[in-house]
Amino acid sequence: MANIQAFEKGGTKTYSIVEIVRGAPTTMADKGPDNTVFAFPIVAILEVLIALGMSVVLMFIALGKNAPLEELANPLVTTDPAKAPWYFMGLQELLEHMHPTIAGVLIPTLAVLFLIAVPYIDNTRAGAGKWFGAPREKRITLLTALYAVIVMVAYVLLDNAFPVRELLRAAVPAIVAQSIIPGLIMTILAALPALIVWRSRASAREILVALFTMLFVSAIVLTVIGFLFRGPGFKLYLPWDMPHGYNPLNNF
Amino acid sequence: MTIHVAQPKKSGVNRRQFIGIAWLGTLVVLGGQVLASLLKFIQPVAASGFGGVVRAGKVDEFAPGSVSLIKTGRFYLYRLENGSFLAMWQKCTHLGCSVPYLEKAKQFECPCHGSVFDRTGVVLGGPAPRPLDTFPVSIKNGEVFVDTGNPAQREKFDPSQTAKV
Amino acid sequence: MASLTNTITQSRVWRSFFRHGMPNNPLDRSLVMTTNIFFHLHPVKVNLKSLKATYSLGLGIITTFLFVSLSVSGILLMFYYVPTVERAYPNIVALQTQVPFGQLLRNLHRWGAHLMVLAAVLHMARVFYTGAYKPPREFNWIVGVLLLILTLGASFTGYLLPWDQLSFWAITVGTSIASYEPVMGSTVKKILLGGPEVGQEALTRFYALHIMVIPAIIFLLISLHIWRVRKDGGLAANEN
Repeated sequence: MANIQAFEKGGTKTYSIVEIVRGAPTTMADKGPDNTVFAFPIVAILEVLIALGMSVVLMFIALGKNAPLEELANPLVTTDPAKAPWYFMGLQELLEHMHPTIAGVLIPTLAVLFLIAVPYIDNTRAGAGKWFGAPREKRITLLTALYAVIVMVAYVLLDNAFPVRELLRAAVPAIVAQSIIPGLIMTILAALPALIVWRSRASAREILVALFTMLFVSAIVLTVIGFLFRGPGFKLYLPWDMPHGYNPLNNF
Repeated sequence: MTIHVAQPKKSGVNRRQFIGIAWLGTLVVLGGQVLASLLKFIQPVAASGFGGVVRAGKVDEFAPGSVSLIKTGRFYLYRLENGSFLAMWQKCTHLGCSVPYLEKAKQFECPCHGSVFDRTGVVLGGPAPRPLDTFPVSIKNGEVFVDTGNPAQREKFDPSQTAKV
Repeated sequence: MASLTNTITQSRVWRSFFRHGMPNNPLDRSLVMTTNIFFHLHPVKVNLKSLKATYSLGLGIITTFLFVSLSVSGILLMFYYVPTVERAYPNIVALQTQVPFGQLLRNLHRWGAHLMVLAAVLHMARVFYTGAYKPPREFNWIVGVLLLILTLGASFTGYLLPWDQLSFWAITVGTSIASYEPVMGSTVKKILLGGPEVGQEALTRFYALHIMVIPAIIFLLISLHIWRVRKDGGLAANEN
């Protein structure tokens, strides 16, 4: 019978180095006085309070506005405009500007892969658990958000006024006009803040902040444009000035 | 103190490991079979109704140069000036919306993303990547039949897509 | 009164239900967490920093609450709804006009679903900007990304069920996007819709996904998500 003895019987050595931990300890050692309380009942009470608060909010919305119901589905007649649920309106807005494989498949796939990769790109523990923990994080977030709003609105308006697709129709192959050119423009626009941050010897966290803010704010901007500013024929209108009495808020 | 060192193995895998690997392999194969049959199971079977051969009407009912919507088959029947027939699926090639025909402009305009097609289904503007899909048309005993089970994709209009009387 | 309470809490039946005393002392407050299936996802003790409202904004709990609330209102809606092309729409109309509180119930379900998508997105932004995905919480971040995708899936599959023009064309457009995926696109679309176009087969499949498949996975993943928060050392707030 195999019998491996790690410690000598009757020996005096009762300790050994098992592993050297690098970085911050995961235990509570060296972390100042214990600042904890028993989770029961305080956490349970907080959860009940939040649940009650949300119930009230939800009830008020439900009493105030009815869920929309249009006429019976008719496969022969498309509604004008035909919009996806609001959370996909950012994608539908992108579809207006580039080939469906880029806007509907490539960009969402890359976004999800990027999100999954986030904790593996930035694997330091510094700044965890603090709002805008990295040194220049708040500034990067604000500037990138501002940039994203301006650039995305400008892109939509410009491409609406001078659509690349129509200007180049028949002049170049469809794949250039619909996929390559808009794809390149989008890549440059989205990567620019991260590149600038990267040039200033930034940490992985700071580059991630630029990329995530770009993704997050662009998604919001495109969703708002698609949801509120697109009217009949999927053309741009002011939300309060839609033709045929179309009200974008009825699409919720 | 006694320390037994394991005997050097003759091969890379001992009996216990081999049986373990065999078990694991069996489970992987079993799981694969279950997954494959699940995939087969959720594949839809051929649909009925729309998808068969639809009788559009008599040849004389369609004036040359007219576009008619055949609701039962969800397609437009365009009778060209030379008298031949072209059947086009009503479904936009962009994202599947039903494209209405505008009699005044003599073109199709999709309300979803503003794709515009001419009467032969060729893209004039908008994000649609290719012309409207066509269905094969056959004419028997002065009646027009359209096979809605076989939509064909195309890159441009060609007289070979039409059927002569 | 006190003796009656005592008799009840000392009885064999009571003791077989609850294996701890009144949770007003440290031991019983630990036991209530470890012996209760709903509480055991929580830690026994929490850091005061992680309870600060300005840190977490309560968005995770809000999302979880909305999921529970949607499950309840969804089950109630199932008592009236029939997922067939002929009956779905008339049923919704009848629910709104004839069933007591039917319209309210549908409103609660609809607005709750939108709020849940919103809360999940905001929760993700909160976790990102507080750096709470950092080691050792990488795995839980990925679970969170999956939960966000599943939340969108749950909302999207539910969107078709009223079978009105809004839902029909939204799903037509949405599933057509999938078909542009170069490798599996048309297969995925066919599997989702059960046919070439949105019809009865699509309604059946979306219904099964909406009421059973997706909520079951979400339920499992939310449990894993909350339990993992505890296992990874509570909220990231108590790291500093």
